[in-house]
Amino acid sequence: MAISAEPKGNQNAEDASADLKIKKIREKAARRDWYKLDLSAIVYPTLQRKDFSSVYRLSVLLKEDILPDLLQAAVDITLPRFPTYKVAIRKGLFWRYLELNNRPGPFVKPDVRNPCQPMYFKANNRYLIRVYYYRNRISLEAHHSLGDGTGGMCLLQTLTAVYLRLLGHEIDIEGFVLDVEEQPDQEELEDAYIKYANAKVRPPRPGEKTYRIRGTKEPFYTLNIVDGIMDVTEVLAVSKRYKATMTEYLNAVLLYALLKKQESARYISLKPVKIAMPVNLRRFFPSNTLRNFITMIYPGIDPRLGEYTFEEIVVHVHNYMRYYVNEKLLRGDITTNAATQSNPFIRVVPLFLKDFVVRQFYTKVQDQNSSAGLTNMGALHVPKSMKPFIERFDIYMGQPFSTRTNCAIISYESILTINFASSIIEADVERYFFRKLVEDGIHVKIESNRKFIEE
Amino acid sequence: MSYCVNCGVELDRSLEACPLCNAPVINPRELELELEKAQPSFPTESGNVEAVKRKDMGILMTTIAVATAVTCGLLNLLIFDNVPWSLTIVGLCVVLWVIMIPVVINTRQSVYVSILFDGAAVILYLYMISYMTLSREWFWELGIPITLLVVAVAELFIICVNKLPKSILLQAFCFITAAAIICIGLEIFIDRYLYGEILLSWSAIVLTICVIVDIAIVTILSRRRLRNAVRKRLHF
Repeated sequence: MAISAEPKGNQNAEDASADLKIKKIREKAARRDWYKLDLSAIVYPTLQRKDFSSVYRLSVLLKEDILPDLLQAAVDITLPRFPTYKVAIRKGLFWRYLELNNRPGPFVKPDVRNPCQPMYFKANNRYLIRVYYYRNRISLEAHHSLGDGTGGMCLLQTLTAVYLRLLGHEIDIEGFVLDVEEQPDQEELEDAYIKYANAKVRPPRPGEKTYRIRGTKEPFYTLNIVDGIMDVTEVLAVSKRYKATMTEYLNAVLLYALLKKQESARYISLKPVKIAMPVNLRRFFPSNTLRNFITMIYPGIDPRLGEYTFEEIVVHVHNYMRYYVNEKLLRGDITTNAATQSNPFIRVVPLFLKDFVVRQFYTKVQDQNSSAGLTNMGALHVPKSMKPFIERFDIYMGQPFSTRTNCAIISYESILTINFASSIIEADVERYFFRKLVEDGIHVKIESNRKFIEE
Repeated sequence: MSYCVNCGVELDRSLEACPLCNAPVINPRELELELEKAQPSFPTESGNVEAVKRKDMGILMTTIAVATAVTCGLLNLLIFDNVPWSLTIVGLCVVLWVIMIPVVINTRQSVYVSILFDGAAVILYLYMISYMTLSREWFWELGIPITLLVVAVAELFIICVNKLPKSILLQAFCFITAAAIICIGLEIFIDRYLYGEILLSWSAIVLTICVIVDIAIVTILSRRRLRNAVRKRLHF
């Protein structure tokens, strides 16, 4: 990835000047102490409330208990390599921005039962990440305005590698594990949306009100987690039986669970059930960025059209993914999003007005477009030298913006973990979901932080 | 290892009941031994959300309020000294500062105390105006009674919201009742001050409307089927 900045003896004048230019850009990047928010990140700070922040959590379970002092040393060594994570968020007149944060910290803390707590911008020495440890688990919580799951996983894996090196193990630099001695690559800090927002048309975005889960809100601040751990090969075998990919199958199971939940609630009029699913755009548009580079798709089922069997749901999801998840439509989607931000009339609107409008739009339109969220990080790979020390990974989407359940899927080696996070007492959606998996012959092991209600 | 008899999932050793359906784990041979040995997969200590210190904002607001009051006072004293007009500015600064105390200075202040302080600040402001205009009658017969009425009704409203079960219908009932009491009180005090006798007119209409709405709400609240029907049709 690194390009040499020192002119070699036999290079012609043009190459030497190009190398000098790159060197100047790198030096400027190294001196840079602030960053604009990327296209996705603009929304997250506006949704900030006293009881809500857009925070996600990534965890790695090692095979031995964590030593806090070494973990703190690892954080101190790793974080400067990720300048867009060692930042504070500040308000400008028209937009918010990220500013390098040289305050002490972030400090590792013992883990808590109720993770993904609201992250106030002025608290925690203005850091927007937290690192926790509990027994053999390292957890990283990050505000979504810094980056998406891919960026966060890069930071977590590099941090874990540095921690293991401090324990005396040799860990290679490969994949998500970056070299902490190296200067950050300019591409890691870029807003990749702008680079690819060049479609000639913007496809329409039909939105409609979907079924909203009703439930009893937990007291502030509680996040109920249910982890389902299973074997990847079993899930793959079942998905094959339904002639779908694993993602499509699990999507269908979640839709099925939501449909059953709506049915059991006995509303007078049924509504469509949709899932908000982020798609990692790096699969289609090459970029090394560690910031947000995702877009949302909304696979769903409309029960008003009739009663769907599970097989029909799988087919429907399979066709939806084939239609929507491709480079052309996704490019159009990026262009639509970017057009709003680059409109000159919108750019000069003061920040407080933008905040109000974006928040209203999100609450009244965007949030109503889906019944639940589902994020799939896919199969994770680590350097071969790191494999012997890692048991598995977990991912949590964090507290939902409104009263509902979010689901996150991640797999490592032969272990597939499905993590539900919700802020309501009832676990109906989780129950229907895991029961369906068990019905299909998948062995599921459950872990949870829920407190049990005495009857 | 244990399995949930309802859901069919394997349960982590530390779980006493299935988190999906609450079915208790019953495995007489293993349960006691396992619970002693098994460490929970998740921490048991809950964390607290970090409080944000708004001291800087509090200092800024206090400085601005004090600076405004002092400079206007000096201006009034030294240059434009015909009428004590600065009292209105000083009073307004005091009222705004007192309102901002629970927001930026002492966020833990009880809401009941905040309302009392706000009432006291408003009374002080009205007194300053009456001192400036050299007319006390309206202050004692109108200013104080209305302020005390609004403070008392606000306190009662907050007590109802906090102590009664959380329900939009119940809160609406309390709000409408409070509005009716304030309207009645306003007209009584105004009529007594202006005409020396109480002749209810517009507030009687407001009271009638509020009573009708309150009766409807009480009916809905008292019938479970009606309550469920309203919730289903009006949920958003």
